[in-house]
Amino acid sequence: MPERVAVTGMGAVTPLGHNVEDTWRSLVSGACGIGYISLFDTTDFDVRIAAEVKGFNPVDYIDPVTARYTDRFAQFALAAALQAVEQSGLKLDGSSKYDTGVLIGSGVGGIGTLSQQLATLNAKGPRRVSPFTVPMMIADSACGQISIKLGAMGPNFSLASSCSTGADAIGMAYRMIKHGEITAMIAGGADAAVTPIGLVGFIQAGAVTRNPDPLKACRPFDKQRDGFVIGEGAAVFVLENLDHAKARGARILAEVIGYGATSDAYHITKPLESGEGAAKAMELALACAGNPDVDYINAHGTSTPFNDLSETKAIRNVFGEKAYRIPVSSTKSMHAHMLGAAGAVETLICCKAVQEGVIPPTVNLETPDPDCDLDYVPGKARQVDVRVAMSNSFGFGGHNSAVLVSRYMG
Amino acid sequence: MNVFDEVKEAICRIQPGIDESRITPEALFKDDLEIDSLSKVEMALALEEKLDLNLQDVELNDIKSVGQVVALIESRLKVRNA
Repeated sequence: MPERVAVTGMGAVTPLGHNVEDTWRSLVSGACGIGYISLFDTTDFDVRIAAEVKGFNPVDYIDPVTARYTDRFAQFALAAALQAVEQSGLKLDGSSKYDTGVLIGSGVGGIGTLSQQLATLNAKGPRRVSPFTVPMMIADSACGQISIKLGAMGPNFSLASSCSTGADAIGMAYRMIKHGEITAMIAGGADAAVTPIGLVGFIQAGAVTRNPDPLKACRPFDKQRDGFVIGEGAAVFVLENLDHAKARGARILAEVIGYGATSDAYHITKPLESGEGAAKAMELALACAGNPDVDYINAHGTSTPFNDLSETKAIRNVFGEKAYRIPVSSTKSMHAHMLGAAGAVETLICCKAVQEGVIPPTVNLETPDPDCDLDYVPGKARQVDVRVAMSNSFGFGGHNSAVLVSRYMG
Repeated sequence: MNVFDEVKEAICRIQPGIDESRITPEALFKDDLEIDSLSKVEMALALEEKLDLNLQDVELNDIKSVGQVVALIESRLKVRNA
């Protein structure tokens, strides 16, 4: 008999706020977290905008020595994990410390650290490279740091599936609990790729918008869309065996009820035009939960011409005529594309939607694209009795993942 | 130049937030200052850069105390300035 999987804690560090509540308030108000890049000099760059986590001081969450020897992405993950575990009230002591694992995905890991140390290597030679280069840049460094900080001694690993990473981390953690392998998982995604090499890498791949206006550049499903805006941050959950959570009197915030993942097996950057792989991922997630009605879809909705069209087709293929009655929003229009954190923060937004009965909007959807013809909740948040919500995530390499969450109804 | 002060500054840089009064010639890196082997290399890098010396040709694991680093640097400076 599969176990039910409860969400008992959530934490977030995003371009819209340094915690879940601030992020949610911004989303509901339609605020945009995109601005001119301040983290480095963009004089020579064709693109000068991103969604940075502004004013983040890691020492607000962790000691100064740990802060010095962790990459920015791991700092975000640590902060979000501490928030999530505090909210959950989960105690990690005695024998229970082996019953809690950590799975934080990251698309690009410590790319900032790697860049800095490469610059040192080139400028000053190999003898000046920091001994902390590897422990700071490895993609699993966030998992290691979280386990050290919290004493979680269960399974501990990272995964990477490009922009599906956060969704896959949650999905795999969900499966581990569902199948009785572990009691609780601290799971989510984190990335901090607003760096010169991170930005230019996406520019050269043709994925980033050339629209210079930070407040208008990210326009999912709009006819004028021409690429995504790079973002950064982390979202982390405490996922827990429902019976365990109930037995200790934990507050159940939502339930994870389904997860599906497929691959396009097609192209390293382009999605399958038909959306076939994406549709199959959604179907698999729905099947986990006995095909419930879906009241809200948080779209991958990157604002690239290809993604938004193929995702629209995929949603239509899965839901048929019903697709036109399901509100679909892309919150990337506000927090931008947080890469490996995207699937995690968007699943978190689905959890808030089922808790609060509010759907955050797609901002900047001003000129409808006739080929993107669903209800994208343009401009303004909407009150809807959301019982089941789906988060879609797709990534370079052809990854497709869907996570399904529901309101906890006992 | 006071070599002890240079070492102290390097330690403060690699261990931000450390109580400076704990940094004495007798202080042991591991037991008194919580400086592990990686941080010790980081400290050596900082001192090499600042003083234009090579400290990585010795076995840093054998250097246990602040005073030993000070002595090592003083001997290197003596040779260099001779």
